[in-house]
Amino acid sequence: MALLQIAEPGQATTAHQHRLAVGIDLGTTNSLVATVRSGEVDTLPDENGKHLLPSIVHYGEDEILVGEKAQQCSVTDPLNTIVSVKRFMGRGAEDIAVEDAHYSYTFAETDSAVPRIKTRGGDVSAVEVSAEILKALKQRAIKTLGDELSGAVITVPAYFDDAQRQATKDAAKLADIKVLRLLNEPTAAAVAYGLDTGNEGVIAVYDLGGGTFDISILRLNKGVFEVLATGGNSSLGGDDFDYVIAQWVIEQADFSDADQPAFKRLIMQQARAAKEALAEQESALINIESDNANWQGTLDRETLKELLTPLVKKTLMSCRRALRDADVENEAINEVVMVGGSTRTLIVREMVSDFFQREPLTSIDPDKVVATGAALQADVLVGNKPDDEMLLLDVIPLSLGIETMGGLIEKIIHRNTAIPVAKAQDFTTYKDGQTAMAVHVLQGERELVSDCRSLARFELRGFPPQVAGAARIRVTFQVDADGLLIVSAREENSGVEASVDVKPSYGLSDNEIETMLRDSIEHAEDDMVSRNLREQQVEADRVLEALDSALAVDGEQLLSEDEMAKIQAARQVLVETKTASDVENIRKAIKQLEATCEDYVARRMNSNIKTAMQGHSIEEYASDKKSEVGET
Amino acid sequence: MSKDILSSNFFELFELPVSYQVDLSQIQKKYMDLQKQVHPDKFANASDAEKRLSMQQTSWINEAQTTLKDPVLRATYLLKLKGTDINLENETTMDAAFLMQQLEMRERLERIRKEDDPLSALDAMAKELKTSTQDMMAAFSEAYEAGQIDDAREWIRKLQFMQKAKKEIDSMSAEIEDELMS
Repeated sequence: MALLQIAEPGQATTAHQHRLAVGIDLGTTNSLVATVRSGEVDTLPDENGKHLLPSIVHYGEDEILVGEKAQQCSVTDPLNTIVSVKRFMGRGAEDIAVEDAHYSYTFAETDSAVPRIKTRGGDVSAVEVSAEILKALKQRAIKTLGDELSGAVITVPAYFDDAQRQATKDAAKLADIKVLRLLNEPTAAAVAYGLDTGNEGVIAVYDLGGGTFDISILRLNKGVFEVLATGGNSSLGGDDFDYVIAQWVIEQADFSDADQPAFKRLIMQQARAAKEALAEQESALINIESDNANWQGTLDRETLKELLTPLVKKTLMSCRRALRDADVENEAINEVVMVGGSTRTLIVREMVSDFFQREPLTSIDPDKVVATGAALQADVLVGNKPDDEMLLLDVIPLSLGIETMGGLIEKIIHRNTAIPVAKAQDFTTYKDGQTAMAVHVLQGERELVSDCRSLARFELRGFPPQVAGAARIRVTFQVDADGLLIVSAREENSGVEASVDVKPSYGLSDNEIETMLRDSIEHAEDDMVSRNLREQQVEADRVLEALDSALAVDGEQLLSEDEMAKIQAARQVLVETKTASDVENIRKAIKQLEATCEDYVARRMNSNIKTAMQGHSIEEYASDKKSEVGET
Repeated sequence: MSKDILSSNFFELFELPVSYQVDLSQIQKKYMDLQKQVHPDKFANASDAEKRLSMQQTSWINEAQTTLKDPVLRATYLLKLKGTDINLENETTMDAAFLMQQLEMRERLERIRKEDDPLSALDAMAKELKTSTQDMMAAFSEAYEAGQIDDAREWIRKLQFMQKAKKEIDSMSAEIEDELMS
């Protein structure tokens, strides 16, 4: 290690050379780009002076439009005009069905795990659509700043899982942008807020955007922004508000064929307009005019409140959890910072203020604050501020683990662990002579594999055959500062290795991450019962397997007929009990079988001591339970 | 300092005496100092080798901080430094009175749902738990300092029980909150 000189931060860069770096907020509804110029941070406008770029991409006959121009095609040509693509990032085909209820795109039939939307310009993935938005922002920055970019900090919802982060990084790669860091949106907002106000202490950032919700609890101290806990829901936002309003309109107007994409898009647009109007006025007029239907109605604040309350309650649930994870009392929060366009909705402000019992801070422009914070970090990362004390310490939002016998998850890194982080855990083989092990990497809070998101699968192959339990396979998880995971596995006795950069293998089941989280608490009890049962069943299998292989080797030599019969009888009891779902009975049957075998085991040990000299293992039966050796 | 990060034990790293008693404010302060030296953000433009080293060092510091702050992990780590690597799951004997207490606590937890104000009752339970946890931590510390390793191990196992109980109280609170909010 002494070979590597640790340079003082920023020392490598020439003092006067200012590098161009930007912060990009790649939002569900709108995107922005910001930079630091002559010490001042600001978002960059387009040629018409507009800072917000609508996150909409239109695929035309022979051109691709992004932003305002694409927005104009949203209702007239909905199938070729992609809105809210962020909700599809890092998602598999199964998730899409759930998400698409709002948008009704046509998806191409494909073998690939990555869903592709059919458009006139060909089939496109969410990553490609996002890349178009990033390219537009990059062009804007180059045009305004007059030079190439050294790099960018791109923000992601704190609650994005590994697949969604990876997809975002891929989009940047496609747009030919060098990513300095993926930064969590609430952390970016905290940076902008902290540097703006100079306040210190514990703050809560409530970030409700178009399609995602994050809550982060941070401690601000002398330029260090330390995330204590984060929580949220990566598919809950203003779009869902619009959707429930649209459903209300459809119900009020008694529209029968509201499934038509263009009509649906029109109603969603009107719903959004009404929602926005209600931030300023008591009631809003909704006017639906199209070829097949006309309707006029009024939405008032009271009704809006009724419609949105269940959604806002969901966000407050995440807030509670984050506070508990951070081990911070509500009273210890110094400030609540509101971020994201959806926090303009009055009911959101009211309910958040009730929950935290404190008037939330809304003075910072909720649309621009994330891009601003990202630009500030980009400026530091690129080396423009060598003496800057600023440092952002973030956490991982969801636990990471691997599948073990019986469809259970062994969590290796728990949620809200500070990143970067590396953890290793030892596992062993289950069968005699096993020479390969499948590693299935998962993310989520539930106990069963089927309830969590599958991130990747890979195999460690070609280690020498050994008796069950003798191999020592060390699985290492490394999460970097972007929150991205690399998993490696190594059989320690032989040195055989395998590793994988985690890329999404396939999508979530239709459960969303937040439901997984909530379920994990609702079902904590069920999980414990089924976990215990499975563990006992696995244990039973292991005992049987060990016994059978032992009997095959020397059963006849070492046992009398009578002894053999007794063992076989106890074995049979376990085989039968194993399939029933009574944990206690299985445990008893295992005990009974072990007791019956006691003499046999002792005899084996003695006879094996001799063979061990010739290089054979003695630990075939009655070996210690080593299938999951504890943390290292 | 940075040369030695990966080969330092957690106490050396945080400039603390090897003891169960730790100064949490010192941990926090030292944590920030170390992060400012090695965090990957300080090496965004460095070579790949330096970036990798920075990631490894920061990971090590993060693990050290987690271990030192957690009562059970810290205790286990202390014994490990003494050469006692304990696999707690394989130990089965346990003092009967303690197990009775644990059982009673779990039964109380099951009944608590039916009480008038279950959340306050849970808060009260959490507080009690905290007090007895602190007593056990003191007991571990005493055993450890006196070199009574077997006793120390016993206290770690008890502390583990307490940690599990705290988790159960927390998840019960979360469950009830969820119900109240929906």
